[in-house]
Amino acid sequence: MHRYIFKRILEIIPVILGVSFLIFCIMDLAPGDATSVLGAEGMTTEQLAALRHELGLDQPLLMRYLNYMRGMLHGNLGTSYISGRSVVECYFERLPNTMVLAFASIGVAILLSIPLGIYSAIHGGSIADNISMVGALLGLSIPNFWLGLLLILWLSLGLGLFPSGGMKGPASVVLPAITIGTELMASLTRTTRSSMLDVIRQDYLRTARAKGTPESKVIWVHALRNALIPIVTIIGTQLGHALGGSVLTETVFAWPGVGRLIIDSITSRDTPMVTGSIILTTITISIVLLLVDIIYAFIDPRIKAQYAGGRSK
Amino acid sequence: MLLILSLENKGYGMEEKTLLEIKDLEIQFEVDGDVIRAVNGVSISLKAGETLGLVGETGAGKTTTALAAMHLVPDPPGIIRNGTILLNGRDVMKLTSKELEKIRGKEISMIFQDPMTSLNPVFTVGQQIAESIRYHEGLNREEALKKAGEVLEMVGIPASRANEYPHQFSGGMRQRVVIAIALACSPQVLIADEPTTALDVTIQAQVLELMRELKDRQQMAMIMITHDLGIVAEICDKVAVMYAGRIIEEGTLEEVFNHTLHPYTEGLFNSLPDVRNRKAKLKPITGLMPDPANLPEGCAFAPRCSYATEACRKIQPPLIERRNGHFVACAAYEDPSFHIERKEKA
Amino acid sequence: MTTERMNNEARVSVVKKYKKRSQMAEIWRRLRMNKGAMAGLVIVSVLVFIAVFADVILDYDTQVTGQNIMERLQWPSAKHWMGTDEMGRDLFARILYGTRISLSVGLVAVAVALLFGVTLGSVAGYFGGVVEDVIMRVTDIFASVPNILMGIVIVAALGANTLNLMIAIGVTSVPMFVRITRAAVLTVRNQEYVEAARAVGITEAKIIATHILPNCLSPIVVQTTLRVASAIISASSLSFLGLGVPVPSPEWGALLSAGRQYLRTNSYLTFFPGLAILVTVLALNMLGDGLRDALDPKLRK
Repeated sequence: MHRYIFKRILEIIPVILGVSFLIFCIMDLAPGDATSVLGAEGMTTEQLAALRHELGLDQPLLMRYLNYMRGMLHGNLGTSYISGRSVVECYFERLPNTMVLAFASIGVAILLSIPLGIYSAIHGGSIADNISMVGALLGLSIPNFWLGLLLILWLSLGLGLFPSGGMKGPASVVLPAITIGTELMASLTRTTRSSMLDVIRQDYLRTARAKGTPESKVIWVHALRNALIPIVTIIGTQLGHALGGSVLTETVFAWPGVGRLIIDSITSRDTPMVTGSIILTTITISIVLLLVDIIYAFIDPRIKAQYAGGRSK
Repeated sequence: MLLILSLENKGYGMEEKTLLEIKDLEIQFEVDGDVIRAVNGVSISLKAGETLGLVGETGAGKTTTALAAMHLVPDPPGIIRNGTILLNGRDVMKLTSKELEKIRGKEISMIFQDPMTSLNPVFTVGQQIAESIRYHEGLNREEALKKAGEVLEMVGIPASRANEYPHQFSGGMRQRVVIAIALACSPQVLIADEPTTALDVTIQAQVLELMRELKDRQQMAMIMITHDLGIVAEICDKVAVMYAGRIIEEGTLEEVFNHTLHPYTEGLFNSLPDVRNRKAKLKPITGLMPDPANLPEGCAFAPRCSYATEACRKIQPPLIERRNGHFVACAAYEDPSFHIERKEKA
Repeated sequence: MTTERMNNEARVSVVKKYKKRSQMAEIWRRLRMNKGAMAGLVIVSVLVFIAVFADVILDYDTQVTGQNIMERLQWPSAKHWMGTDEMGRDLFARILYGTRISLSVGLVAVAVALLFGVTLGSVAGYFGGVVEDVIMRVTDIFASVPNILMGIVIVAALGANTLNLMIAIGVTSVPMFVRITRAAVLTVRNQEYVEAARAVGITEAKIIATHILPNCLSPIVVQTTLRVASAIISASSLSFLGLGVPVPSPEWGALLSAGRQYLRTNSYLTFFPGLAILVTVLALNMLGDGLRDALDPKLRK
């Protein structure tokens, strides 16, 4: 098992390096460089050139990337043009807020979608099933920033039930969580339903019934336990989605998370912050997916045996 | 007096108890607007210790009949139009779900065809056997697991393997586990639906031997569903041949094999290759079984029967006793001089 | 026999009744049965019509961008079906014109992604080995960056205009096409007719184009439809963030962004553009789902 975990960790390292190189290169295509922000007004061309040389900005791309990477290994991703603070420090200051939002959203989504997906699968073809499937499609198609605005309009400005923005107390997480959660829920319901449908046709359920297992246990223990396996994987990718896609929701709800940080940095042309934040976000998501893979290996005995070196025929 | 009564109840009396009684069973499936007549008037009677071989091609209705005995026919699309099924005197069709759950696995058990898919991959073998024991015998988890180990030993698997998962066993071993699950609570009736079809021939022999042993030991009644006449010869006392949802011949093993009556049964025997005469041409039965959504008016086998007459095509022949305990549904036997070509063995 | 097999056998004997239809007709028939997909198809057709004839229906300068301060911020009425915005422009006209922008951005981005993705995917699937490894690795790297963030990075680096928006969205769509094409190619390439073609001496490229690709069509078609839907959402998201099409363009996301400050007072400015996005994306998703079911009934239910 440990070997499997180690192997997976080794696998994401080249991906992380690749992503950092990719983002670094793309951002490099932007016109101008640090000197346009750091250089003082009215500096002469020579002074700018000197500054550039001092900051190592006149080196070829590859060299600059290698320097950057060296810094990355030491946990240093540069400093913000605007605030002068370390990129890493600012990012990890905001990350917990985004995490809170992401987990709240996933929680909402799981609580609603799994029972709904199971119900849909069991009563396949019924009106309730059709409604929930259309609803799921609706949830997938609705632009989440619009949904956020509508929720603010109706529940916050209209009914005054929730604050319209910011992060102040538990009530303020509700609307943003619903906004992100709706999209997650749509996807999760569909996956739960199709996974359950696959499992429901399986012969081993018939064996369970033939030995007298109560129907409720057949569904909720025998079937669900198998259906959960692919669902867990989806939950993992959805969590990654929530982390990355929170940009819009955080903007709409003025939530002080990582997404807002990225947007603000772009508007203020704070290149190191943008580059660093996006790289860090991608790394976070990769780690989450890795954890999901490991959990998956634990809950599916077939995979577990494969990697734990159990006796397999 | 009391002693005699109690012995009788245990099946030691003169008359052995009829455990399973299926009368005039009719089952239909409604699929996409069509009505598929899967089982058309089947009656089966099974006593303690008897093994009935239910023979027929795929689609003859054997599995459906067996599932009905446990009220496991999926509804929809399957509908039981007629018939009663008495298990130990109680009508299975009229039981509530709770009552059904009590008898399944305890009074009547079933083994299915494909061992590769019959076991739940995420639970250990021991857990799956123990589950049955917990429901029916009220033991707690530890005790049940312990007993599960004993049941495993009974089917020839070391109890130490109870903590392993199904994928860690081969096909033959898995089928033994399935058998273990079915027999864990000593059911009185066991239905085995082609239990060896998916296995290698050598493993087949082992599993059959195991089943025979267990059957003898527990005095179980068994229905062996198969299309393989060789298996029937090995293990069955009685034989019932099904065609298009009906039983068309029924009798003891000796009667059906050595004094075959129905042309279809004759065809089945004829189609077996003769190992002594390698050069002989194979003699399959021409044609196909009729579409169960579109059964013909008269005898279902008439289109393929070399002895068929006009009368055969018009009227359903009823199942009538022609020899001692040997029933056949064939209008040709109205003529007492009629006999099929297959040689009778003395 | 499993109960499923029993049902299937019963069904087979029923299905034998139907005459053999050509494949296309069969697919169309299955699609027709799906009411959602049909609704989606109708809506998408209407939208395409609007997009194509936008210039004919509306006069860009006066109706879409012409400012009319006298009539600003009016709620929906008979004259202005969806009201007016803060510059007095008719919202309905702007939203109609926005159809053209959204659809063209979506289609172009996805078309380009399709070209790159399918080519790369087929090369990877067909040739295997190192080539496949390299392509899939690079694809994985691109795919591990969340779509929005990738879009943001590209637009931030290259500047906010329509072309860059298309590039950004295109880039995020490529990985999916690569993966799907590769998977489809892998299943097909080992079939015998490919061996036969190779034995006769047809060039690799021709084999890919004429034998392999036609059989990979169904997942690609489905994916294209769904991708256009998500491209439209991406485009409007980026425009909402100010990173999309330049200002006077009535892109739906941009309209939402502009309307945001009037959320309390003129909520219709927020409501209608979002509704437009929803309807378009929903129609495309329903159509895509329907295509998926129609093209491969085994995936159904």
